Amino acid sequence: MKNGIAIVFAAVVALGASWCGLVLAPTLQLGGAKLTTVLNSPDTYPLQRTGEASLGLQIYRANGCAACHTEQVRQDGIQAELMLTALGNYQPEDFKAFTESLFVQQALEPVTNALAINLKGWNGSLPFVFLTTSDKEIADKINQSINVPGVKSELRIVATGADLARGWGPRRSVAADYLYDQPVQLGRLRAGPDLANIGVRQPDANWQLLHLYAPKAVVPNSTMPSFKYLFAVRKIGAALAPEALKLNAEFAPAAGYEVVPTAAAKELVAYLLSLRANVPLYEAPFTPVTTKP
Amino acid sequence: MNPNENTFVACGSSKIDASLRVPLLALFGGAAVWLIVGLVLGLIAGIKFHAPEFLSTIPMLTYGRVAPAANDAVLYGFCIPAGLGVMLWVLARLSQMPLVLPMVPVVAANLWNIGVLIGTGGILIGESTGHPWLEYPRAAAVILFAAFLLIAVSAAGTFGWRRERALYPSHWFLFAALLWFPWIYSTASLLLNTVWLPRGVVQPVIGWWFANNLVFVWLALVGIGTAFYFLPKISGKPLAGSGYALFAFLTLVFFGAWCGIPASAPVPAWLPTASAFAALLTIIPILAIAIITIKTVFGSGVSCQGGPFCFIKFGVVCFVLSGLMYVASACPQSSRVLEFTWFGFAQTQLQLLGFFALIIFGAAYEILPKIMGGALPFPKLAKLHFFLTAGGVLLFVIPLAIAGVEQGKALMNPAIAFADANGVTLKFLRISTTGQLLILLGALLFALNIFVMTMKWQLALVKSLIAAVKAPLPEATAQRDQEVKV
Amino acid sequence: MSDDISKRCCLANESEPTVTRSTVPMWIIVVTLVLLFFGGLYFDSHGDWGNQKLYKPFTSAEQLETFQPKSGAAAVMAQGRASYETVCGICHGSDGMGKPGQAPALAGSEWVTTKGVNRLAHIPLAGISGPLQVKGQNWNLAMAAMGAALPDENLAAALTYIRSSWGNQAGEVTADEVRNIRAAIGNSPPMLSREQLLALPE
Repeated sequence: MKNGIAIVFAAVVALGASWCGLVLAPTLQLGGAKLTTVLNSPDTYPLQRTGEASLGLQIYRANGCAACHTEQVRQDGIQAELMLTALGNYQPEDFKAFTESLFVQQALEPVTNALAINLKGWNGSLPFVFLTTSDKEIADKINQSINVPGVKSELRIVATGADLARGWGPRRSVAADYLYDQPVQLGRLRAGPDLANIGVRQPDANWQLLHLYAPKAVVPNSTMPSFKYLFAVRKIGAALAPEALKLNAEFAPAAGYEVVPTAAAKELVAYLLSLRANVPLYEAPFTPVTTKP
Repeated sequence: MNPNENTFVACGSSKIDASLRVPLLALFGGAAVWLIVGLVLGLIAGIKFHAPEFLSTIPMLTYGRVAPAANDAVLYGFCIPAGLGVMLWVLARLSQMPLVLPMVPVVAANLWNIGVLIGTGGILIGESTGHPWLEYPRAAAVILFAAFLLIAVSAAGTFGWRRERALYPSHWFLFAALLWFPWIYSTASLLLNTVWLPRGVVQPVIGWWFANNLVFVWLALVGIGTAFYFLPKISGKPLAGSGYALFAFLTLVFFGAWCGIPASAPVPAWLPTASAFAALLTIIPILAIAIITIKTVFGSGVSCQGGPFCFIKFGVVCFVLSGLMYVASACPQSSRVLEFTWFGFAQTQLQLLGFFALIIFGAAYEILPKIMGGALPFPKLAKLHFFLTAGGVLLFVIPLAIAGVEQGKALMNPAIAFADANGVTLKFLRISTTGQLLILLGALLFALNIFVMTMKWQLALVKSLIAAVKAPLPEATAQRDQEVKV
Repeated sequence: MSDDISKRCCLANESEPTVTRSTVPMWIIVVTLVLLFFGGLYFDSHGDWGNQKLYKPFTSAEQLETFQPKSGAAAVMAQGRASYETVCGICHGSDGMGKPGQAPALAGSEWVTTKGVNRLAHIPLAGISGPLQVKGQNWNLAMAAMGAALPDENLAAALTYIRSSWGNQAGEVTADEVRNIRAAIGNSPPMLSREQLLALPE
C-alpha cells in the first residue's frame, strides 16, 4: 500500500506541476494583459471591436470557421535591410564601387556570405534594398559608413517567413492581438488561408459577402462550402435592395429574386474586417511601410 | 500473487464478472452507439472535402460543426465511457473484489450518454464553446463531470475494499487516469466554459493543456493500463519488468503533462519551448512501453488470428506511432512543416481510433464473454472487425499524414499559391475517406455483437422471470401437500 | 461461506496477470538524463526563462532590443509623432491646426517651415510670449518652454515631425542642432518675444 500512496503522490505532483506551469503561470502572466502601445507611436493596440464585429465573432465560433482557418501568422526570422533612398550627385556605378571598396576596407569580406548584397543586377532605380542581413550590427556599421552627403539609406527591420511572404501579415501574431477575443479562435488546420489580417488583405465587405454566399464566384478553385444559410433569397420589391449581392449569372437566384445578407452574415463580415494585426509592437518589431508626407 | 490468498478468495472471477455485467453493458452499449454516430459525422465531414456543397445548405451539418461534433462524439461518446468500463472490470479483477455499488456506474452511464447527447446537439445547433476538444456547452459539461465522479466512486470503492493487496502496474495507470480527468476537466471547464473567460491567449493555452492531457495523457494512461493487463494475461507470460513499467509511468505523467503548446503559438517563447522540451522527453515512456510490449508478447507462442490479442497488439503499435508523430509535431524543426496541416489531425485520429479504440475493442471482446457467461454471438464478425478496423485505420491515417507533410512543404514555399498547396492534399483525403468507411463498418459489427448479446441476455432474463412467476411457490406446494395429507 | 463453496468457485477462478520484478534499467536512466540535458540547453537558449515580451524567432531579450527599429526616417517620424502628441498636441492639436484662443496652427505656419531650424528650435526650448502673427492672424499668448524637458533626440524628432506633416515640407532637425541651441541659451532662459525671435538668424 505504501507503493500505492507513492504512485498517487507522484501523479498529483506531476499533474500539479504542469497545472502550475501551463495554467497558473500563463494566467498570472498574460491574464492581466492590458492595452499595449504601437511601437514608436502613441496609439494604443488593439482597438476595441464594434458591437457588430463582436457579434460576428460568435457567428464565427458557432459555425466552427476555426476548423479550417487559422488566425495566427508564423515568423521564421528577423532581418535588417538597408534601403537606398537618395544618391545625391552620385551615379549608381559610383555607389557600387564605393560599397565594394567599403566591404574590403571594413574587412567585411569574410562575413559577406552572411549578407545578401543585391548590387549586381541594380539598374539604378530608387528606393533600392541593397543589403539584407540577420546581423543588425553589421547593417548599422555599413549604414554609418555610407553616410556621405547626398546619399541616404534607411535601415529597415523586416520580419521574414513563408506566411509573411504570402502576404498574410507584416509580422508574427502575438498575445496582444487576441486581447478582446471571447473566445480566442486560433484554429489548428489550414484547409483555408490564414485570417489574422483578412481585414487588411480584403477590406471590401461586398467581396466578403459574395465569398460567403458563393465562394467559387470570387475564388474559382475554392474548396470552401457556401454559407447560403446566412443569406435570404427573396422576391424583389419595388426595386433591387441596395444590399442585394451582385452575382453573375452562374450563381444568381431565379429571375425576380434577390439575395440579401442576414444580420448574421453582416456581423460575420464586420468581424472579418476587424481582423487587422498589422502594427509593429515591441515584442514583434518591424519597420512599417509608410509614405513620407 | 500469494497462492494462499487466492484460495481464500470466495467465489472469484465468476462473481466478480457477474457484478460487472449490467454496468459494462450500459457503458459499452452507449459507447458503441456514439462511436457509430461519431464515425458517420466524421464521414460527412470527410465527404465535404470532395464535394464542398454536400449538405452545405443545412446549418447543422456545415463542416465547422460536423467536424468537432464527430471528434467529440468519438472521444467523449466512445473512448471515455468504454475506457471507464474496461477500467472498472480490470480494477475489480485485480482487486479480486466484485464491483462496489454496481448500480452507480449504470446511472452514470446513462447520465454520461445524456451529456454527450446534449453536447453533440449543442455543437450542431451552434452552441459550441469554440475551444478544441472542449466544445460541449456548459449543461453537457456539468453532466459529464458528475457522471465521471460517480464512476470514479465505484472504482475507488472497489479498489479500497480489495482482497488482493498487491499492486499491479495497471493500477498505477488506471488510478492516475481517475485523478487526471476530474482535475483537467474541472479546470478547463471552469476557466473556458463559464462566463469568466480569461483574457486573450490564456484561453488557448489552457485549451492546449487540457487537450494534451486528455487526448494524449489520459488516453495513454487508460489504454496502456489496459494493455498491460491483457498482454501478459493472453500471452501467458508475466509483464516484462516492473522497473520499465514504473519508469514508463513516471516519465509519462511527468513529461507528457507538459506537452501540447504548439511551437509557433502566439504566446511568449518559454511556453512552446517548455512543451518542446517535454515532448522530447516523452520519447522515453513511448520507448519503454514499446520494449515492455515486445518483451511480453514475443516468444509467447500465442497466435492471435484476429482475436482480442491482435486488437491489443495493434493498438500498442498505433500508440507508439501516434506518440512519435506527436513528438515530431512538437519538435521545433519538424513542426515548422507539420503545423496547421492534416498531419495533426492524422495523429489525433490515430490516437483515438488506432490506439485507444483498438485496445478497447480487444478488451471488450475479451471481457464480454466473461461477464455474459457465454461466447460472442458472432465471433467471426469480431475477427472481421479487427481486419476492417486495422486496415481502415491505416488507410485513414497514413494518407492524411502524407498529405500533411506534402501540404506543409508546399505551404513553406510562398511561390506556390495557397489553393495549389492545399490542392495536393485532396487526393490523399479521398483515400482516407475509404478508410473511414471501413472503420465505420467495423464499428457496426462491434455494435451488432454487443446488442445481440444484450438482447439475448435480456430475453433470457425475461424468460426466467416468467418461469419464476409461473412456477408454483414452494410454500404453497408444501401447504397443498399437507392439505392432501389431511 | 463454507470451504466447499469456496473451493468449487476457485476452480473456475482465472489467474490474474503478474509482473516480473526488476529495477529500472540503467541505460534508460542514462538516455533520460542525456535528453534532459539537451532539452534543458534548448530551453535555456530559446525560452529566456519566462520573459513575457520574448516570442519566437527571437532567442534573447538583447536580440529583441537590438532589432527595435530606432533609426531611419519612418522611425524618426513615428518617434516625433509620439513626442508631439504627448507634449505639443494637447494645445496645437494632433492635426496641427491649433486651437482658437489656445495655440496657433503649426500646419502651414511660417514659423515652422523656416529654411533653417535655429529660430524654430528656440521656441520650445525658451518659450515665447507677447503679440505674434501666424498665418496673418494675431495672437497674444504665452507658451512656456514646453520642449525643454524633452531629450534632444525626442525634441528633434518632434520638430522634424511638425516640419514634414500636414502638408509642411521643410527639412529635418537633428539632435545635434537641438543640443547646440540648448547649450547656447543655458538653463531656464527667459521667454522670448517676437522681436527677440526675429533678431535670431533663421
